[in-house]
Amino acid sequence: MTVWDILSNYYPAFLTGLSVTLKLCLIIWGSGLLIGSALALAGIKCPRSVGLPSRGFSFFLGGVPLIVFLFWLHYPVQAMFDVVIDPFYTAAFTLSVVNLFAVADIVRGALHDFPKQYLIAARVTGLTRGQTIFKIQLPLILREILPPLLLLQVAMLHTSLFASLISVEEIFRVAQRINAQIYRPVEIYTALGVFFLAVCLPINGFALWLKSRFTRNLSEQ
Amino acid sequence: MLSARNIHKSYQDRVILNGVDVDIAPGQISCVIGPSGTGKTTLLRVLCQLEKEDAGEILVDGEQNTAPWPKVTAVFQSLFLWPHLTLRENIMLPARNHNPQADKDIEGLIKLFEMNHFIDHYPNQSSIGQRQRVALARALILNPKYVLLDEITSALDVEQTARILTKLTHLKERGIGVFLITHHLGFAKRAADQIIFMSDGKVTEQGPPAILQTPTTERLKQFMSLAEIGA
Repeated sequence: MTVWDILSNYYPAFLTGLSVTLKLCLIIWGSGLLIGSALALAGIKCPRSVGLPSRGFSFFLGGVPLIVFLFWLHYPVQAMFDVVIDPFYTAAFTLSVVNLFAVADIVRGALHDFPKQYLIAARVTGLTRGQTIFKIQLPLILREILPPLLLLQVAMLHTSLFASLISVEEIFRVAQRINAQIYRPVEIYTALGVFFLAVCLPINGFALWLKSRFTRNLSEQ
Repeated sequence: MLSARNIHKSYQDRVILNGVDVDIAPGQISCVIGPSGTGKTTLLRVLCQLEKEDAGEILVDGEQNTAPWPKVTAVFQSLFLWPHLTLRENIMLPARNHNPQADKDIEGLIKLFEMNHFIDHYPNQSSIGQRQRVALARALILNPKYVLLDEITSALDVEQTARILTKLTHLKERGIGVFLITHHLGFAKRAADQIIFMSDGKVTEQGPPAILQTPTTERLKQFMSLAEIGA
């Protein structure tokens, strides 16, 4: 049985798994980018008391392995509160939390380190506030954060496979189940690897291209 | 006239400016000289309202104005060119707000500053001397009335410095008031209409360039004698 045979025989299951993975990723990416950026902005613009808890929690999360955090939310926390939550939502929540704090760290770093001299130049040359934000700050900050953000989102796509460990029917779990039926690990996991390469390599390549393209122009020296 | 009246400025407990009075007249070059750390750059930043004075007042043509840009504009030692824009875009972005003839004027500035072979480069693809000229052009295309320049020739060689300083005398002819912090005493002697000597956060002596030959205060005498040794 070839990879193609497996894909053609089991494509409905693969498509279901793929759609679950994509849904999971859309939630993780969307919430991470939106809430993470908002958190970073709040940390910079608002008083210290607003930004500090976010930084503290981010620091705390950095010390907890993701899988422990995921299992902790899936088993003990639900047992403690005597609730049963769909594993998909538990996984989506856990990975979103990890992603949004990582996004917040990247965005906060870029905002914090933004060279003030470019804003001074904007002031003394009479740029409007809108021009300063949209023509100077935003393009420079986007150049700074886009490559690490893209790499982070690819890493989150990889990390979404952990959801299979709490029985979320995403693509890796589907592959495992098919393998349990027909035992063709080489073909099945090769197909899975090719799928991830096809999705992740272009994004990684784009991130690296952005990094080399834009950081070249950022140095004033 | 751009005037500073009895300006005081401190950072925490450290007094930087201690009752400074200066006037910068349109069509004149005022050169500020003095030892490092005497508040020259702070005075420039207060004059163009980038820093708020603790006491005293800044008057632009007799009026208080907390946002006088780009009528009063500045070029700093580090230039602050926006790195994601080409040199041409660096000049044109602010120019479009303030100069309806910007598209025409930039061509004149490209000629004046001999920038035609690098104007479409990015800042990091250009030499310091080239960026220096662009920073000046970015300020001038805004048709400012007063230009404040902070040691803009400090990183240039003798030839480039001479070229930039010659261009400054053109500004004077256009009626622009130039406030120039410089260590080039030779230029100050030749081109300045007014010398402002600062030490310890105060204007210790000011007057025509002749004061450099015949200083009246001990501090300027001492500075000039040390400057001769250093020259």
